[in-house]
Amino acid sequence: MREAVLAVTSNPLQRIPGVAIMLLLLVAVFGAVAPGFMSEVNIANVLVQSTLLLMLSLPMTLIIMTEGLDLSMGAVLTLTSLMVAIVSVATGSMLLGFAAAVAVGLIFGVANGCLVAALGIPPFVATLGTLGMAQGLALIVSDGQSVVGIPHSVSEIYSAAPFGIPVPIVLAILAYLLFHGLLYRTRFGAYVFALGGNREALTYAGLSPTRLLISVYALGGAMAGIAGLLMTARMNAGHPTAGLGLEFDAIAAVAVGGTSFERGNGWLGGTALGVLAVGVLRNGLNLLALPSSIQVASIGALVIIALFLDGFRSRS
Amino acid sequence: MSMTLPIHESSPFNAPAPPLLELRGISKAFPGVKALDDVSFGVWPGEVHMLLGENGAGKSTLMKVLCGAYRADAGEFFHRGEKVAINSSSDAQRLGIAVIFQEFSLVPYLDIAQNVFLGREPMGRIPGTIDRRGLLREARRVLESIGFDIDPTIPVAKLGVAQQQMVEIAKAVSQNARILVMDEPTAALSDRETELLFELIRKLKADGVAIIYISHRMAEVFALGDRITVLRDGRRVGEVDPARATPDELVRMMVGRNVDMSYPRHFVEEPGQVLLEVKGLSAPTGISDIDLVVREGEVVGLCGLVGSGRTEVVRAIFGADPASAGRIIFDGREKSGGPDEAARLGLALIPESRKAEGLALARSVGDNLVVSALRKLFPSGLFQPRRVQGVSSDLIAKLRIATPSARQTVALLSGGNQQKVVIGKWLAAGAKLFIFDEPTRGIDVGAKAEIFALIDRLVADGAAALMISSEQAEICHVCDRAYVMREGRVAGELSRAELTEENIVRLGMHHA
Amino acid sequence: MTDITKQAFAPARAFMSDDLLQVFYRLAAALLICLALAILSDSFLNLGNILNVLRQASLLFFIASGLTLVVLTAGLDLSVGANVALSACLAGTVIHQTGSPALGVLAALATGGIIGLLNGLMVTALRIPSFIATYGMLWVLNGLTYWYMAGEIIHGFPAAFRQIGSGYLFGLPIPVYLLLIFLSIGTIFAQRTIWGQEIYAIGANPVAARLSGIPLSRRLLLVYAVSGTMAGLASIIFLARLNSAEADIGESLTLPAIAAVLIGGTSLFGGVGTVFGTFVGALILTLVLNGMNLLSVNASWQPLVTGVIVILAVWLDIKARRRGE
Repeated sequence: MREAVLAVTSNPLQRIPGVAIMLLLLVAVFGAVAPGFMSEVNIANVLVQSTLLLMLSLPMTLIIMTEGLDLSMGAVLTLTSLMVAIVSVATGSMLLGFAAAVAVGLIFGVANGCLVAALGIPPFVATLGTLGMAQGLALIVSDGQSVVGIPHSVSEIYSAAPFGIPVPIVLAILAYLLFHGLLYRTRFGAYVFALGGNREALTYAGLSPTRLLISVYALGGAMAGIAGLLMTARMNAGHPTAGLGLEFDAIAAVAVGGTSFERGNGWLGGTALGVLAVGVLRNGLNLLALPSSIQVASIGALVIIALFLDGFRSRS
Repeated sequence: MSMTLPIHESSPFNAPAPPLLELRGISKAFPGVKALDDVSFGVWPGEVHMLLGENGAGKSTLMKVLCGAYRADAGEFFHRGEKVAINSSSDAQRLGIAVIFQEFSLVPYLDIAQNVFLGREPMGRIPGTIDRRGLLREARRVLESIGFDIDPTIPVAKLGVAQQQMVEIAKAVSQNARILVMDEPTAALSDRETELLFELIRKLKADGVAIIYISHRMAEVFALGDRITVLRDGRRVGEVDPARATPDELVRMMVGRNVDMSYPRHFVEEPGQVLLEVKGLSAPTGISDIDLVVREGEVVGLCGLVGSGRTEVVRAIFGADPASAGRIIFDGREKSGGPDEAARLGLALIPESRKAEGLALARSVGDNLVVSALRKLFPSGLFQPRRVQGVSSDLIAKLRIATPSARQTVALLSGGNQQKVVIGKWLAAGAKLFIFDEPTRGIDVGAKAEIFALIDRLVADGAAALMISSEQAEICHVCDRAYVMREGRVAGELSRAELTEENIVRLGMHHA
Repeated sequence: MTDITKQAFAPARAFMSDDLLQVFYRLAAALLICLALAILSDSFLNLGNILNVLRQASLLFFIASGLTLVVLTAGLDLSVGANVALSACLAGTVIHQTGSPALGVLAALATGGIIGLLNGLMVTALRIPSFIATYGMLWVLNGLTYWYMAGEIIHGFPAAFRQIGSGYLFGLPIPVYLLLIFLSIGTIFAQRTIWGQEIYAIGANPVAARLSGIPLSRRLLLVYAVSGTMAGLASIIFLARLNSAEADIGESLTLPAIAAVLIGGTSLFGGVGTVFGTFVGALILTLVLNGMNLLSVNASWQPLVTGVIVILAVWLDIKARRRGE
C-alpha cells in the first residue's frame, strides 16, 4: 500500500503502524472489561458516531501536514450546525440550511487561511482568535438557547439507511475517498506535502504557497460546514455549545494516526484509524460509566504519548 | 574594460560559434564586501567547465546570479551571442539554466516522479488530478536518460544523498536544461557513487549540455574538466587548460594575493601551560578522532575547507553539540557538559554568524556585553543597571567600540563593532580561552586589523585563542601554529615555520 | 542577511527606553477608553464600578503575570485556565476537609507549580512545542477537574479567607493590594534580577543565549513553573471571591489572559514586554468588557471581542517586527 510506505520506517517491528496496534489494544481491553462493547449494536454505534469526527479530522490532517493547526474547528462546527438549524427552521429547506452552513464554514476557513498565510500570524494564535469569534457568534445567533423544530428532511440525514447502510457511513466513506483522491492524486495534494516538507520548492516551481495554504484552511472550514449538517441531524436540534472542543478530538485522531507536526508527511489511513481509536476510547469509557472528563483526560494522555512516540521514532 | 580577451577567442574547440552562455563584467556587492568583481566567463555546449576558488572567492554568489536568485549589480549576459537578462528564476529556466545547490529543493514525502515534475505535472482527465501513469512514464524516461535505475514511486526522503542528487539532476534534465551548474556534487558521495556521477556527466556532455562544475578536489578537476577558471576575491584570476596545468599552479592562482596586513603580532617564544587538551574527540556532526592542544599565550589556527568540520570541532569543544567520544580537558578539569559549563570554566565561543548566534540584536550593547557575566557581576542575584553602565563603558572604551552609548541597539552597529561586542561579552565573563569562528568575516579592513590587535593583546595577558579562518593569509600572519582539517579529521599540524598558505591549501585539499 | 546600511539610517532611540514608551502608549490608551466610557455611560464613574473594574483587572493580572514570563521566552501556556480550575477545586476541598485556609493556599500553589513543571518538562525534555504541550495539558487538566468534582460545587469558606477576594482595606478591594504586591515582585524579578535578564536574553535570541552560557533548559523550566504557580495563586483569589469552586471556572480565563499579555505589549516572538505592561493590558481588556456590560451589550459578544482583540494585537506585533527588521 503506497500510503503505508510514507508512514513507516524500515525497521520491521515498526512497519506495523502504531495506531493500528493502539486500536487493537483498545478494542481488546474494552472488549474484555466493558459490558456490551462487542455487541453488534454498539459497534455500529461507534462507527456511526465516528463519522462526524472523521469529517473534521480529514482536513485537519492536511492542515497539520502544513505545520499548522486549526483550533477553531469545534467552534465553527457549533456555529455551522446552528446555521443549519436556524435556516432550515426558517425556510423549511434542508438544502438552504446546508448551503448556509458550508458558506459560514468557508468564510471562517478563508479567514483562518488569510491570517496564517497572508498576515503571518502563527496558526494556533490565529485559530484561537477565530475560535473565540465563532464561539461568540454561536451564542449570539442562538441567543443562548437550543434551536428546535428541525424539519424532518434534516434529521433524516442521520437516521436514514439506504440498503441498510446508514447515511453517515456513506458520507464518511465518500469523504474519505474524496480526501484520499485529493491528497494522493491531485496537484493540490502534492503541493500540500510541499507546504510542510519544503515550502521553498513551491516558490522555485513558480507556485504561490500563500494561496495554497489559504485553500487548505478553507477546506477545513467547508468540511466543518458539512459536519454541521450531520451534527444538527444527529441531535435533531441546534445547540449553542455542542461541538466545542471537538477540534481536540480531531487533533488527537490525527496525531495518534501518525501524521507528524513537522515533516510534511501525512497518512489519511492513519487518521481514519485514529478517529476509530478515539471513538472506541470514548465509547468504552462511556460503557464503563466514566464521565466525559475522564475521557478527555485519557485522550489528552493518548496525544502526549503519540507525540512522544513520534519524536522518539523519528530520532531512532 | 579588462585586459582579458573576448571569451570566444579562447574557446577550447576553436569554433567561431559564440558561447552558449556568456557573462561579461558581472559584479555583485553586498554591504562591506564585493562578492563578484568584473567577472567574465563563457561556456560552450558539451564542455565541463571547472570553477575553482577558495571560500569566499565568489563561487556561490556566481551560482545564485546564474539561477536568478540574485540580481547582478553590473555586467551583461549573452545567450548564443544575444544579450539577455537574468533577473528571476523563470528567466534562468527559460534560458535552460539549472542550478543544483548543496541543499536540495526536494519535497521529502513526495515520490521521485512528483519531485521531478513539481509544478509541471501532466494532467489527468478530471481537471486538477495528476495523470499518474503519464507522470510515471515520463519520470522513467528521464531517469533512464541519465542512467539512473530506480523506482520512481519511492519517496525522496528514503533516498540517500547521492540518489537525491540524481533526482535533482533528473529535474534539471526534465526541464531541458542546457546549462547545468553543480556545486560540490561529490562532497557527500562515496567513490563508487562519484564514478556513477562522472559517467552521467560524460553522457550529458555528449548530449551537448554545458556543465559548470564547482569543486575543491584536484583529482576531479583534472579528470573531468575541459577548462578550469580560477576565482579569487571575486575576480576571475585566469583560465587554465587542464592538459597543460599542474595542481601547484592552480593552488598558487587560488591563493596568491596582495596582502597588506600590517598588524603587529608578538609571537610567543615559550608557550605557557597547556590550557586546552582534546583527545580523540568525535561527534555525530561529522568529526572523528580529533586531537589538539592549546597553550596559554598561543593563537592556534584551525584551517581547512568549508565542510571539513572546523566549526563542528569547536562546537563540540564548547559543548554546543554533543560529543560521541573523546575527552576535553580544560585548565586541568574534565569538561563534559554544555555551553553553560563551558562558560563557567572560562571558555568563550565567538560564533561564525554573530548576528544569529552571538548577539541578541534587538537588545542594547550593554545588555549584550554583560549577558555572560551576570553571575560574576551580580553574585547576589540582584541586577543593577547602573553597574551595567559602568562595566559597558569600560569595555566600550577598552575595545574602542564605536557606539553612541551602551544603550544603543546592537543591530545598529557595524559588523566590526558587533564583533567587538561579542568579544567584549566574554572579556566581561573573564574567559581564558577564546574560540573564534571566522572572526573577520564581513568586516572591513580597518576593523579587521583592530580585531587582530585585540587578539594579540588578549593572549599577551595570558589567555589563549583558537581561531578558525578561511583566509589563509590571516592564519599565517596571526597564528603561532595551525591544525588543518580535512573531511572531519585533522589532516595535519603546521608549526610556525611550516605555516604557509600553500601548505594549508595543500593539506586541506583532497589530492588523489 | 540584513542590510547594515539600511539599519544605519534608522532613527536613534528616544530618550525614553523603548519598553517604557510602549507602556506609556498603552496607559494613554487605557485613559482614552476611560474617557470614552465616562462619556458614553453614566454608571462608569460610579465608585462601585471603578472598584469592580480594578478588582476584575487584578484577578486577570494574576493569571497573566506568570504567563508573561512564558511569552517572553517566545513560548505559550494555554493551560493556565484549566490550571486555575483544578487548583481552585483541590484547594477548596483541602480547606473544607482541614478547615485551614493556609493549607488550602499551599495546596493551590503546589498544584499550580507541579502543573507548570510538567509543562516545562514537556517543552525542555520532550521537545514538544509549547503550544501543543500546554494544549494537551489543558485537556488533561479539564478532564481531571470535571472527574474530580463530579458535577458538584464546593462552597462556603471561612469568612477570614473570603476577605482575600471580597474584602476591603481602606476602601480598596484587597485583591488590588495583592495586585500591587505581585506587580512589584514581578517587575523586580523581570527587570532587576539576573534570572529576569536571562529570560529576556532567551526571548531575544535563544540560540545566542545558550551559546552565551545561559542554562536554557533550567530557565525554561523555571518560567513554566512560575506560570503554573501564579495560576495556583490566582485560583486562591478566585476561590475567595466567588466563595465557591466548580469545574468550569477556568474555561473563560485562558483567552483573556493571553489577550492581556499581548495587549500589554509582550511580543509572541519573545524578548519584548514587561509585567507592568501586562497589568495595563489586563486593565484595558477589563475596561472594554466593562464598557460592553454598561452599554448593555449582550454578554455573548465578549469572547468574540476578545478574539478580535487578540488577533489585532498579534497583527500589530508582527507589523512592528517587520518595521524593525
